[in-house]
Amino acid sequence: MTAPQAPTEAGAAGHGAEPRGKRTEDGQATYLIAIAEGLWEEMERDERVFMLGEDIGVYGGAFKVTEGFLDRFGAERVMDTPIAEETIVGVAIGSAMEGLRPVAEFQYSDFMTSGFDEISTALARVHYRSGVPLPVVLRGPSGGMVRASSFHSVNPEPWFSYAGGIKVICPAFPSDAKGLIKSAVRDDNPCMFLEHKWIYRRIREQVPEDPDFLVPISSADVKREGDDVSIVTYGAMVHRALEAAQMLEEKGVSAEVVDLRTVYPMDEETVLRSIEKTSRALVLTESYRFVGIGAEVAATIAEKAFQHLDAPVVRLAPPNVPVPFSPPLEDAFLPSVDDIIAQVDQLSAW
Amino acid sequence: MATTKTRGSDRPQAEVTPSPDERRHILYLLKLCRYFDERVDTLYRQGKLPGAIYSGRGQEGTHVGVVLPLGPEDSLFPTHRDLSAQLAKGLDLKRVMAQYWGRIDGYTRGRDGNSHIGDWFGSKTWTVMSHLPIAYPVACGAALAYQRRGEPHVALAICGDGATSNGRWHEALNWSAVGRLPVVWVVNNNQYAYSTPNPLEFAVPTIAERAAAYGMPGVRVDGSDVLEVEAAAREAVDRARAGEGPTLIESVSLRWMGHAGHDPAKYVPKELLEEFKEHKDPVKNFERRLLEDGTVSEDDVKEIQARIEREFDEGYEYAQASPFPEPGDHAKGLWVEDGYWTSEPGRGGPTEYS
Repeated sequence: MTAPQAPTEAGAAGHGAEPRGKRTEDGQATYLIAIAEGLWEEMERDERVFMLGEDIGVYGGAFKVTEGFLDRFGAERVMDTPIAEETIVGVAIGSAMEGLRPVAEFQYSDFMTSGFDEISTALARVHYRSGVPLPVVLRGPSGGMVRASSFHSVNPEPWFSYAGGIKVICPAFPSDAKGLIKSAVRDDNPCMFLEHKWIYRRIREQVPEDPDFLVPISSADVKREGDDVSIVTYGAMVHRALEAAQMLEEKGVSAEVVDLRTVYPMDEETVLRSIEKTSRALVLTESYRFVGIGAEVAATIAEKAFQHLDAPVVRLAPPNVPVPFSPPLEDAFLPSVDDIIAQVDQLSAW
Repeated sequence: MATTKTRGSDRPQAEVTPSPDERRHILYLLKLCRYFDERVDTLYRQGKLPGAIYSGRGQEGTHVGVVLPLGPEDSLFPTHRDLSAQLAKGLDLKRVMAQYWGRIDGYTRGRDGNSHIGDWFGSKTWTVMSHLPIAYPVACGAALAYQRRGEPHVALAICGDGATSNGRWHEALNWSAVGRLPVVWVVNNNQYAYSTPNPLEFAVPTIAERAAAYGMPGVRVDGSDVLEVEAAAREAVDRARAGEGPTLIESVSLRWMGHAGHDPAKYVPKELLEEFKEHKDPVKNFERRLLEDGTVSEDDVKEIQARIEREFDEGYEYAQASPFPEPGDHAKGLWVEDGYWTSEPGRGGPTEYS
């Protein structure tokens, strides 16, 4: 399990032990540092919180999110595990049943499927059948756009949204990521927290320092206001949508960008409110087109906002094929800014 | 450390012999499990019981024996075959039967049926799932919590011979040995995984000897002898409590009935079945032993049996009188915050979350 990206993707960020010490001089944090800050604060706040995963201790995690945690919190709370994903999930479940609050890291969210049964059968169904709360967080880097090919680029959110019983969170900005990881750790239900690896070190912003700063789960956010068309999306595609919206504005088209932030359970209200305003919907996802998250968003809009629509709901998403490696192939596979603009143009023609 | 041994009749009895009162209680448990299994089978065949049944008949020595050394704070992670172990751990027969009939007072409030049951908030048992051995990794997690908090508790997990072929079995044993976790691994080797016999599941002569490969002791016991099973389990539980790590126990028996109620199990050779019923009946053997050594009289046995039948009938009546769940509640209870499981304390859930 080697990090296949350029050194900037997986290399150490380190400027001292605490994540907060890794902010830029003017106080900005990357998405990666913001997540690390959130985890660090929750570990400090609540002794029941502990982390387990492969190479998270001495090595600091495949992407260095947990760098410095071992020194601060010790091996009992920052636990390097055997390469055994089913048991990583099982241990999280069992320790949560006994009152601990585990946060399990997957080196890549691709490897969550190595623990599929413990996630989809056990983790998702314990509470419904027994009333036992499972405050478990499973987290890991997801998504492509970094030439990581088939086994290090997956978007697993549709698989685990389907399981029922797991909240699936896919933030796009550092502040949202920090506020949502903290909410996930404090939530009494199983949460899956998917960190888009393209965003890790590319997007930075001022991030709240209040240790009780939280972003609610299942709450979408309008990242750019607009009147003509709604682009409903999440994860790294939010950034492509914002880039496209900027270019559309120059063409006189006002696009609203809705960031779902949590894909399951979904904040339908914010999505529908946007459609009521714009009457046109482009559903943009990095998860596959067929049975992807976008299919649910599009169906929800078609069912519940039909009377507001001036055009058919359009989905823009990759085909259901493995993520290819070669740069021209991956670029063609992923929705591009040009693709987004072209789809918006078609929607605007109605 | 990594030794494999077979517990035979040469074991000094004095080491572990339970008191006469404890022996009478063991007999009660064995006979209760057998009677429940037989009555439920009859009701199923009469069409009076919805869903499926998974008989543990012939394996009561294993089920009761491994649970005896556990205290109320120790956790049990059984399979659908192991209702007897859950009864021995303390499940209430009334609520068990409410579960079988899909009623609100069942431990899962009708969300699951039959032996897919558990009582985490009371008897500390896992609510059984079918994908075996899905609870083996979970037992590691419970044990990790005990270890971390310095609590003297133990997690005991049971699976069958078939589940030892699954990757999780190996993951969990390996992890528990690496972490020196307070776990006891029990394999109820009833010789058949549905229709598949041992030689098609593994190529080693015994499951117990696999323990050496993980760095833990392995022991093979005769599942028809409840006291032999109990002694091995007690030693393993004591080791775990003392911080000496996990033990693997293979308890050998035979599955007398089919995989589930619909399965006549014609693939089990008649002679083998007859041999086990005649010579390896854990209930009959123990009863005979207690009669012979004077621990119980024939009248005592009759009294125990009468008590069991009364309890079963009371449980049956309770289950029939318990309401079905509200159909409109089928989507409730998924998330903690919807409050479903704390809405009616005493009906399966906790009174409040800690």
